[in-house]
Amino acid sequence: MSVLRSPLALVGAGLVAALVVAAVLAPVIAPYDPGAASGTSYAPPSLEHPVGTNNLGQDMLSRLIWGARASVSVALGATLLALTIGVVVGVGAALVGGLVDTLAMRVVDVLLALPRLPLLVVVAALAGAGRLTVTVVIGLIFWPPMARIVRSRALSLRRRGFVECARGFGAGLPYLIRRHLLPALGPVIVALFISVASNAVLLEASLAFLGLADPTGVSWGLDINRALAEPGIYFTSAWLWWVLPTGFAITLAILGFTLLGVGLEPVLNPRWERGS
Amino acid sequence: MAMRLGSNAADRSGSIATTGADAQLRRPGRQPAWTLPAAYVVTVLALVALNFLLPRLMPGDPISALYTEGTASYVQDGGQREALRAYYGLDEPLGAQFVAYATGLVQGDLGTSIRYQVPVSELIAERLPRSLLLMGTALVLGTGLGVLAGAAAGWRRGRRLDRGLLVGFISLRNFPVFFLGSIALYVFAVKLGCFPLSGSSTPFVSLEPLARAGDVAWHLALPAGVLATEFATGQFLLMRAGMVSELGSDHLLGGRAKGLGDRVLKYRYAGRNALLPVASLMAIHVSAMVTLTILVETVFRYEGLGRLVFDAIRFRDYPTLQGCFLVLTLMVVTANFLADLAYRRLDPRVTT
Repeated sequence: MSVLRSPLALVGAGLVAALVVAAVLAPVIAPYDPGAASGTSYAPPSLEHPVGTNNLGQDMLSRLIWGARASVSVALGATLLALTIGVVVGVGAALVGGLVDTLAMRVVDVLLALPRLPLLVVVAALAGAGRLTVTVVIGLIFWPPMARIVRSRALSLRRRGFVECARGFGAGLPYLIRRHLLPALGPVIVALFISVASNAVLLEASLAFLGLADPTGVSWGLDINRALAEPGIYFTSAWLWWVLPTGFAITLAILGFTLLGVGLEPVLNPRWERGS
Repeated sequence: MAMRLGSNAADRSGSIATTGADAQLRRPGRQPAWTLPAAYVVTVLALVALNFLLPRLMPGDPISALYTEGTASYVQDGGQREALRAYYGLDEPLGAQFVAYATGLVQGDLGTSIRYQVPVSELIAERLPRSLLLMGTALVLGTGLGVLAGAAAGWRRGRRLDRGLLVGFISLRNFPVFFLGSIALYVFAVKLGCFPLSGSSTPFVSLEPLARAGDVAWHLALPAGVLATEFATGQFLLMRAGMVSELGSDHLLGGRAKGLGDRVLKYRYAGRNALLPVASLMAIHVSAMVTLTILVETVFRYEGLGRLVFDAIRFRDYPTLQGCFLVLTLMVVTANFLADLAYRRLDPRVTT
């Protein structure tokens, strides 16, 4: 795989791997229960609490590790949902063509013009910001750009020799999709997956920062929301171990996906491989 | 390169309307002239319909929770409860509700705020200028900074200045804007003490007009700075990529052969062509801005529309939230429309 040749992409893969490991193994590797007080309030970093504690005496390291879980589960769920709808609509529109194609792309046009975060905010505020709601809404917001890219790829694939040949031999639509289109679309889908996942991580954190997250759950954005709501947070040194590591956790998660995406860029668009 | 960075910037920022790639896919030149306005009219109608349907179709019935005793969002004040019931008109059939809603909308009636007990339109009219000031300042500063830095870096591709700027801007892109804002507050307001910690102006003091303007600018500096940094990043990458792709072009070589100076070549020859995608990104930034402004105003407690959204979420002030949503999204759609129009004017290849 050409990705492994790029050191940046390797770093990105490492960061994403660390994020996923933290998310999956959170109950095992977190030293304390993230929701229970395990020390005094605002304890600075020490051997017992390597990243200190927050206002409620909860261990920040444990909260950082459990926060990865919220991030990964929302990102994964939302991305899978967006991909499924996007691929179905994109491939369908390209293959069926005609009125279906025109209608689908008009709908996509309208949806693309809607601003994402404000829409997300209104829906999450009205429907209640449970993790499932946030995941589904982020997924629903990201399928239109995917559908458009997949469609344009599928359109050009449709006229390629091997697809026309299969058609000439009487291949049906489901067969064409399964055997020829999906494998050929694979690299694009992987690249789209990464780009949407990174956006989903950012959106989940942004929503939680605005207070739109399950209040009983652990989420990085929610931790920053609570920290900044604390009066005088900037005048205690608690900012240094409450906000700073949490913010960097979000940043590193996004950075991981970005670097991985940069490494995959030549796959998504071979023309760029020549370099700029 | 330009395409990738352009569309990434759009992805991050919350809207996608006219990225380079997108504009290409859409091929505006091949459609009759009326389709563009028509598409935007449909979008606006979709927004209004969404705004009407969302609270009514949402699972859990958030609106009736406002006047159902025992729920978390129950409105205590009896008179207010009645006003809300009348505004949403849930006793009527859906069609009649929509007619009432649309009529109110045309007359500028966005309902009454649950928290502030004043018409939502008044609240928005009060906050909107502050947000526009913040957005405008940031857009101008950020675009200027990004274009100049991008032109400098692209012109000297591969040199130390280019590498430094590139690494710096790309790293900045990965910071969530609210985290960047919090860092800026900690460094500039707390440690260095040169800017205020919160707000959009000093409350409860009367100042001379000039001093008042200075006070507003002083409060504006940090949030506008953070917002501008976000915009500058996208513009920098786009401008740099544009400059780089211009470097080997024939007309640049021709200009050099004519004996034109470096400055003329850099800004009038290469820079001018590289500016085209920058102009369309500026419009995308207007939509990104709406997203970023909500977050930035929240961090800095800047009393604009974004902060109003945040407070509306906290107090389950649905009429206010929806009013803001409508105004903010209409701003985005308008900006996208203007961008599409501008793009056709700027690029002679796109014929209307």
